[in-house]
Amino acid sequence: MGPPTVDCRNIVKTFLQRKVPMRLLQDRILRWRILSDRIRIEALRGVSLAARKGEWVGLFGANGSGKTTLMKIIAGIMRQDAGEVSTDGRLSCFFELGVGFHLERCADENIRLHGLLQGMHRTDIRRVTDIIIDVAGVRSHANLPLKCYSTGMRLRLAFAAASQVDADIFLFDEILAVGDTDFQKKCWWYLHALKRAGKTGVIVSHNMDNLERICDRIEIMDRGILTGSHPIRQQRNTGGTPSALP
Amino acid sequence: MAARRFTLVQALHVVLAIGWADFVLKYRGSVLGYCWSLIGPLVKFLVILYVFGPYVQPSIPLYPLYLFLGIIVWEHFTVTTTGCMTMLFEKAGIVQRHPFPNFLLILAVGWTNIIIFSTHLAVFAVFGWFFGAPLVWSVLYLPFIMLQMTLAALGVGMLLASYCLKYRDIGHLWGIAVQILFWLTPIMYPYRAQSAVTASLIAFFHQPGIHSRNLLNLFIHFQPIAIIINDVRRVTLYPATAGTPTSLHVVGLTLVCAGMFLAGKWIFDRRCPYFTQEY
Repeated sequence: MGPPTVDCRNIVKTFLQRKVPMRLLQDRILRWRILSDRIRIEALRGVSLAARKGEWVGLFGANGSGKTTLMKIIAGIMRQDAGEVSTDGRLSCFFELGVGFHLERCADENIRLHGLLQGMHRTDIRRVTDIIIDVAGVRSHANLPLKCYSTGMRLRLAFAAASQVDADIFLFDEILAVGDTDFQKKCWWYLHALKRAGKTGVIVSHNMDNLERICDRIEIMDRGILTGSHPIRQQRNTGGTPSALP
Repeated sequence: MAARRFTLVQALHVVLAIGWADFVLKYRGSVLGYCWSLIGPLVKFLVILYVFGPYVQPSIPLYPLYLFLGIIVWEHFTVTTTGCMTMLFEKAGIVQRHPFPNFLLILAVGWTNIIIFSTHLAVFAVFGWFFGAPLVWSVLYLPFIMLQMTLAALGVGMLLASYCLKYRDIGHLWGIAVQILFWLTPIMYPYRAQSAVTASLIAFFHQPGIHSRNLLNLFIHFQPIAIIINDVRRVTLYPATAGTPTSLHVVGLTLVCAGMFLAGKWIFDRRCPYFTQEY
């Protein structure tokens, strides 16, 4: 076994919040005595998690258990109070689909900005633009702004754009399969293709069935700690081979 | 800690692409389009020219151009500083959910506003031709001055952006401050520089007494935006009478603006990790 690709050691994150949120500078000056009561939320209490190359780890837990906070710390969006995080390889995270998408922009403009934000080179973006449009099945709307798309079309375009990002480690927060049944098959095929390609993944979901479908290991989180592993039943089919794939 | 490191070239592509996309998007779907960015300064220009022009015009040659230039530089400063704050709200999806150097979003705001300012300068050139202002070689100084004003505006913008999520009324307070600063900047009235900036500063501290009015004058005289506006006017309208900025002046002012930028960046970088939990 090689060294972990994603390695979190004793991650601690505490939020110190006011009982009544103080969002104004004038409150800070004029009402600081009234609004000074704070509550301490221990979001993560010494969490250690490692994923080796090619391993897919699922995080399962109730709302407020600290899954997204852990993911944001791994991604580098949030800073931990204590503990260490290390990642070995390029990392792409999807806390929502279609980062950088704007309703007034056309498909290719949105794809270009999405790719740039994901750190892709312009030549690579140009190369995959048509593929993304075809996989998403939005060719008929390609020259229209996103506001003319149905919700399903937007999701498909966003997922198809995400599917073309090249990275070694993928973080997915509640984003697994989107769209109608046919497109969900494509999504599953894509996720399994990533896994077969030896990419590493950390996935957060409330849906245990979805996690069991792709993960090698599922960790249960509760109130800021990892309480144990969920046994994986026999891994299910990858979703077949859809007709139009990247 | 950042998930994906951007090379310098990649970062440049991102800044140029986002800045240009924002510029295009700003006017997309609007009937008047780009004209909206011009209407604001133009209306302000016409009102001031009509109300205050008769009092000030006799003492300032080419006053309409003097005023228009002051207004477009001022607009660039205010729109850039405000843009740095609104960027955090407009691009909340990126700031909250994507491991991305937020500093690049600030640079994109600067790039968008440089594009807009350049178009305003083109309109100024048309006005200049119309009012018979001579075309002078000293306009070649303009890129340096644009760099200075963008550095200064982004520095202030980053400082404001650093706290505008934590304290949501920073935007309102800045709106009031901008109103006050507008009157404390020689936009419609003459900038009375009798000598070089450093010589004036030395002379000020050798005055027999320092009163509040003198301090106010000192602020009007030496605040960077006032000096930048004055420099823009010197190189475009009055190079023969006011003289072009000396190398020492250009280097000194660039250092001051770069200092403002770096101070703003330092604070912004320190505050960035907290943004996601302040939404």
